[in-house]
Amino acid sequence: MMVTHSRMRSLGWAAVLMLCLGLFVLLSLRVHAVRSEVLLAERQIIRLERETRRLETEFQARANQRQLAEWNRVEFGYEAPRADQYLDGERQLASLGQPRGPDAPAPIRVARAEPAGEGAGAGAARPRTMVSPLTGKPVTLASAAAAASADAPSRFAEAFGDFLIEASPIRPARAQVQAGAPGDAKGSAQ
Amino acid sequence: MNVQAPGLGRGFGSGIGEAGLQRQLPLGFEPAKRGAGPAPKALPASPQGPQPAQPTGRVQLVSLRQELLLTARVRLLVIALLFAALAGVALARLGWLGLAGESPARTSLDAALLPDRGEITDRNGVPLARAFDAYALWFNPRAMDDGGSPLIRTPQEVAAGLKAIFPEMNEAATARMLASGKPSYLRRRILPEEANAVFDLGEIALETPREQDRHYPQGKLAAHVLGYVVEEEDGTLGGRVGMEQVLDDRLADTASRADPAALSIDLRVQGALEDEMRSGMLATDALGAAGVVLDVDTGEVVALASLPDFDPNRIAREDVPNMLNRVTNQVSELGSTFKPLTVAAAIDAGVIRDLSRDWDATPVEIGRRRLSDYSDKGDTLNIPQALAYSSNTVTMRVADKLGPERLKRVLMDLHMHERPTIELPARALPFWPKGEWSRIRTLTVGYGHGIAVTPLHLATAYAAMVNGGVWRPATLHKLDAGNVPRGKRVFKASTSARMRQLLRMIALYGTGRSADAEGYRVGGKTGSAEKNSGGRYSKTKLISTFAAAFPMDRPRYVVVVVLDEPRGTIASSYQRTAAWNAAPIVGRLVPRIGPMLGVRPDDNRDVDISDLRYLMEKAR
Repeated sequence: MMVTHSRMRSLGWAAVLMLCLGLFVLLSLRVHAVRSEVLLAERQIIRLERETRRLETEFQARANQRQLAEWNRVEFGYEAPRADQYLDGERQLASLGQPRGPDAPAPIRVARAEPAGEGAGAGAARPRTMVSPLTGKPVTLASAAAAASADAPSRFAEAFGDFLIEASPIRPARAQVQAGAPGDAKGSAQ
Repeated sequence: MNVQAPGLGRGFGSGIGEAGLQRQLPLGFEPAKRGAGPAPKALPASPQGPQPAQPTGRVQLVSLRQELLLTARVRLLVIALLFAALAGVALARLGWLGLAGESPARTSLDAALLPDRGEITDRNGVPLARAFDAYALWFNPRAMDDGGSPLIRTPQEVAAGLKAIFPEMNEAATARMLASGKPSYLRRRILPEEANAVFDLGEIALETPREQDRHYPQGKLAAHVLGYVVEEEDGTLGGRVGMEQVLDDRLADTASRADPAALSIDLRVQGALEDEMRSGMLATDALGAAGVVLDVDTGEVVALASLPDFDPNRIAREDVPNMLNRVTNQVSELGSTFKPLTVAAAIDAGVIRDLSRDWDATPVEIGRRRLSDYSDKGDTLNIPQALAYSSNTVTMRVADKLGPERLKRVLMDLHMHERPTIELPARALPFWPKGEWSRIRTLTVGYGHGIAVTPLHLATAYAAMVNGGVWRPATLHKLDAGNVPRGKRVFKASTSARMRQLLRMIALYGTGRSADAEGYRVGGKTGSAEKNSGGRYSKTKLISTFAAAFPMDRPRYVVVVVLDEPRGTIASSYQRTAAWNAAPIVGRLVPRIGPMLGVRPDDNRDVDISDLRYLMEKAR
C-alpha cells in the first residue's frame, strides 16, 4: 500500500496525540497518587496533633500547680529567693571576682574532697540527710531509726505488710529493706 | 481484520473439515495437501474446477465447509470482541478510579484540628481549659443488624469481660443492661487504653464513640474564674458560672475558637495564692477564704481565689454551695480596712493637713452608744498612730469632720455603691446605705461598718489609693498596653503618695507587721469586723481581712485576703483578729509571687517615710 505524504503526516500527528494522551493519563494517575499520599500524611498529622494535645493535657494535669506545691512541701523544699540572692547588675557580678584592694592577698580557697571509699561502690554519692523543709534542720524519723536496727525489714513487714514497704516515703528505710543488708546506711542513688 | 480472517479461518476450517473430507471423498479425488499452504488455492478453485459434472454430494460438502468456516469466524469474533470489551471496561474503570477517584471524604487540616470549643489560657498561654477528645462506652444492639442476638457471647460473659477492664463496674447490672437490648451508655468516659481493651473483646455492639469533652488540667485551680461546662439539650457545650459563661459565644464561634482566649490570670500566682490561703484557712479553722491579686496600673486580676472550691472536671451536687465566689459575690463589712480610705478622703479634702496633729482618742458617744478602741493606746493619737493601731475613735472623728457628703462622694467614685466591675456573671450588690447619711452612719462607715462590699471592691479601691489616685475597673481579660482603660481620678497624686507612706508604716509599726515580707516593701491594713447575721453582730464570729499593696515605693500589685470566721488556734496564737491570721498569709504569699511578677526583693529600697517616722517612734 502506498502511503502518501499527507497521510504519513496525519498518522504522525495521531501518534503524537496518542503519546500525549498516554502521558497525560500517566501524569494524572501520578497526581492522584501523590494527592492520596498527601491525604494520608494529613491524616497522620491530625492524628499526631491530637495525640500531642492529649499528652500535653495529661502532662499538665499531672504537673498541676497543686501537685507541684505538694511535692515541694514533701520532697524539694524550694523557697522563694531572698533579697541578698540578687545582684544589681553586671558591675556587682564583676566585683565578686575583684581583689578586695590593691596588693590584698588572694582569698584562701579550700577544696573539699569526698571521703575516700564512701560511695565508690555503686558510684552513688552518700545520700544527704533528710532536712525539714520548714526549718532546714536535719530530722530523724522514728521509722528511719527503727530501720537502722538489724531486724528492721522483718519487723516492718510484720507490722505493716509488704505493700507498705513499697509505699513508704522514707527512702533510707525502704532502700535498706530492698537491699536486705541491715546496718548499711547507704541508700539508693538519688 | 478482514484481511486476516481467511487466514484464521483457514486453519480452523481445515482442522474441522478435513477428517470428514478424507472419510467421504471417493477414490480418484485428491485431497488438498495439508499444511503446505495450497489449501486456500484449492478451495476457491474447487467450485470453478474443470470438471463440469460434479456429483451433488461434493457441492454440499463445499457449502458445509464454508458454513462451518463462517460460524467459526463469527464465534471467534464474538469472543475477541468480548475480551476487548472486558479489557475496555477494565481500562475505563481503572482510568475513572485514577482520575475521578472516589477519594475519601476530605477534611481540611484546619477544620479537623479546630476544637469544638475554644481553649482558655492564662496570661502566659498555659491552658486552663481545653477541648479534649474523650471516649465513651456505648452499647448499640443494632450494630450487627442481622436480626439475631446483638452479642456474640452471652451478656454475662461480656459483662465479666468488661468487669476485668473496669474493676469498679457492677457486673450484674451491666449484664442486665446488655440483655435488655436497649442502646445505652455503659460508661460515659473511658481512657484510650480502656477503649483498646474493649475493642479486643471483639463485640461489635460495644462501641467506643469519640466525644468532645472539656478538661481543666489544673483541676480545682481557678475554678471560680473558669466555671464549668454542661451539655445543653442540643448536644453542644454551654458554659456556667465563670468565664466559660462570659466567653460562651466566643468559644463556640467557628471563626474565633481556633485562637485561645487569654485571661489576665497568672497560673503560678493563682497556685501560690490558693496554696497559702488554703493553709491559712486550715490553720485557723475558718469557714472560707477569699483572695485577689490585682495589677494596680491596669486593673487586671492576676489571681482570684475563693475557698472552699470545686472541681470543674467533675461537678457534684455537694459542690453547688462551693460555687459561691466569695471575691465577687459575697458582701460583708470589711471593717478597719476602710480606715485608710477615710483618711485618704480626708487628706484629699484638706480635712487632714497636719499628720502630726493629735486627735482625741477617747471613746465616742453618740446618743446612748459608746464606741471605743479595740485596744487603748492613750488619749490622743496622731494619724499614723491611729492607722497603725487601728483606732476606731480617731477614724470616727476624722469621718465626722469630713462629713457625710464628701465621704459618700469618694466611696461612690470608688464604685462601692454598685456591683463590682468585672466580667464574671456572679456579682453581688453591695449593702449601700440609702438616702441621707446620719451622723452615726457616717461615723460607722468611716471605719468600715454599716457598709458591706465585696473583697474585689476593696481591691480596686486600694489600687486607686496607691497607684497615684486613678480608679480603673477590674478585668479578667488580658489587656495589651494600648487597651488599658484611662480610668477616673479619685485621689490627688499627692494624697496617693502620702497613703503609700502611711500604709507602709502600718506594716512596719502597726497591726500589719506579720505581712512585712523582707525586701518587698509591703504596706497594708488589717480589718477585723464582727460578722453581722440578721442585723445582730456576733461577738465570736469575725471576718478578718488584710488589704495590702507592694512594693510601696512604686506599687505594682494589690493583694486582698479575707478569712470567714477564723478561730483562735495554736497557729494564730489563739487570736482571731486579722493581724494573726490574714496578715501572715499575705506575708507568706508576697515572697512567693513577687519574683514571678517581676518584683525584685531589695533591702536597700523603700518608700521614704523619714518625714513621718518620728511620729510613730516618739510614742515608743
